Amino acid sequence: MKFLMLLAVKNLSRYRRRTLITATVIGVGLMLFLMIDSLLVGIDRESVRNLKQYETASLKVMHTEYWEDRILMPLDVSVPQPYDRVTELHDAGYRATPRTRFSADLILYSEDFGEDGNIPVQVTAIDTALDSTVFDLEQTLMTGRYPEMGSNEMVIGSWMAEDINAEVGYWVTLVTRGNGGFFEAMDMKIVGIVNCPNPNVNRSLLLVPIDTISDYLAMEGLATEIAIALPDSADISHEKELIGTLMAASGAPLTVLSWDEMASDYIAMIEAETGSSSVILFLVFLIAAVGISNTMIMAINERVRELGMMRALGMSDRQIHLLFILESAGIGLLGSLVGTAAGILANLYLVHYGIDFGFLMREMDLGYRIQSIFRGTWHVRGILTTFTMGILLSVIVSWFPTRRATKQDIPSCLRHQ
Amino acid sequence: MIQVQDVVRNYHAGETVVRALKGVSLEIADGEFISIAGPSGSGKTTLLNLIGCIDALDGGEITIDGTRVSQMDKRAKTEFRRHNLGFIFQTYNLIPVLTAYENVSFVLSILSLPEKEIEERTMRILREVGLEGMEHRRPDRLSGGQQQRIAIARALVKNPKIVLADEPTANLDSKTGEEILKLMKQMNEKYHTTFIFSTHDTMVMEYARRLVSLHDGQIESDERR
Repeated sequence: MKFLMLLAVKNLSRYRRRTLITATVIGVGLMLFLMIDSLLVGIDRESVRNLKQYETASLKVMHTEYWEDRILMPLDVSVPQPYDRVTELHDAGYRATPRTRFSADLILYSEDFGEDGNIPVQVTAIDTALDSTVFDLEQTLMTGRYPEMGSNEMVIGSWMAEDINAEVGYWVTLVTRGNGGFFEAMDMKIVGIVNCPNPNVNRSLLLVPIDTISDYLAMEGLATEIAIALPDSADISHEKELIGTLMAASGAPLTVLSWDEMASDYIAMIEAETGSSSVILFLVFLIAAVGISNTMIMAINERVRELGMMRALGMSDRQIHLLFILESAGIGLLGSLVGTAAGILANLYLVHYGIDFGFLMREMDLGYRIQSIFRGTWHVRGILTTFTMGILLSVIVSWFPTRRATKQDIPSCLRHQ
Repeated sequence: MIQVQDVVRNYHAGETVVRALKGVSLEIADGEFISIAGPSGSGKTTLLNLIGCIDALDGGEITIDGTRVSQMDKRAKTEFRRHNLGFIFQTYNLIPVLTAYENVSFVLSILSLPEKEIEERTMRILREVGLEGMEHRRPDRLSGGQQQRIAIARALVKNPKIVLADEPTANLDSKTGEEILKLMKQMNEKYHTTFIFSTHDTMVMEYARRLVSLHDGQIESDERR
């Protein structure tokens, strides 16, 4: 074994240039993979964080029939006595807030907006004090202030504000159907504009006080949902079960949904992304495999006579295999070291500065909950897997050319020119 | 004792069958210094390869010290060669990245001998073939004669029963070739190792104590001196 290692090392340095070129090919491939992996994992983690902090919270309590009809945003399948439920949740140590969501037509007037118009919107009615214990929206106010309870005030997302040329102080009218189907029109004053890291929120957010809406829409104290924030370290499914039990005690027909059940579109996209990441990984490894395979074929072809001599002197096929495996593992190790080191260096930039995709995110909805800068992350498992795979792959692809070399008969090897 | 009985070896070149050995029979006693002579294509290398267990025969049988080597499978032949046979090649076939010492000692490494024994035996054989002080040189820094001395040291370091040398002097000038032959003879006398070498050089044949001439795949003469 010691001799085989010595010979492998000497052979690698004998064909230094070839070794370095192949190791570089592997290294570049692994570096690219590490960068892509870091970005994808970083984007995913930040998207999930932004989803929970600005959109879905960790869990939501709803009427059992609400989720099925959620597209219609019905008001008649709501949570009864939501403040009692919120108090129960607070008593159990959870941060919770009631919300009512409804669809409406947003009417714009020419005095403020330059021309008359209307757009369909989704409105969220919040308890302005409690909401900030669950969501971080108030901290992302770029101008103005949060609406006061009982007022006809509204906060709007920054991109929507840009799209309709809205500014703080402008008046709009929300036209919708109240609980029972009657039409209702509500004049609202824009008092704040929110610019948060979640592009979905910037694109569509309209926040109004829940008590004002309750009066207008005859909700009689009902809310369509109760949002609950959990710490990042919490076991969501366990907490969901606990809260489900707590809510069941009220006797109301309530259900608890976790953030990933509510953001199924995002989860589907992440699954597709994992698939594409696997394709990238496969392509990177394919390039590396071709490089190593080619190097090993050349190395074996140049040393057929040497192999013949070693076999004639009693070296077994297993030892010959081991020799070439050690050589290719050496190339793989070098490539993995180069690739991992370069990947870590490149990742320093990705983690600290990231790549600004703001221009893209503003124009189209890619599904990610990141407004502009896509940052990488330190995905230690990914780095370790990539490093190991670089070596393993080198060993695997060297097997076949070596096997071919040991199949050739010894006299032919010795005659080889 | 090597017994070659009615050995046949055919090669296939497309549709053509080349009959390299046509029923060769030969007995070689322990410690002989024997030359297999003959023109190109006479079958001398084929005979050496068959005795050396690196080729498979099509008919007949080869027995070495009572072991029917021609019946062995690939793994057993490898094992047999590892312990019992040494090879010297026309083009030396040294490993270019290894030093003289490493080129010789690797034969003992694959026998898994203790490090100390490997070092002692390697240094002793290098001294005997006149390469003391050159053990750290790589083959490209040695002359053809010195390289062939390494090959002889490599063949002998494991104390094999038989050393097979295929045209060992063909790549050397006559003076160096003679030195190599003298060295081989010396080693044969000292260790009583059987030396079988092929040649078509008359000077080389002079050194042999027994000269077997092959022609067209058959033994033409077997002359003891």
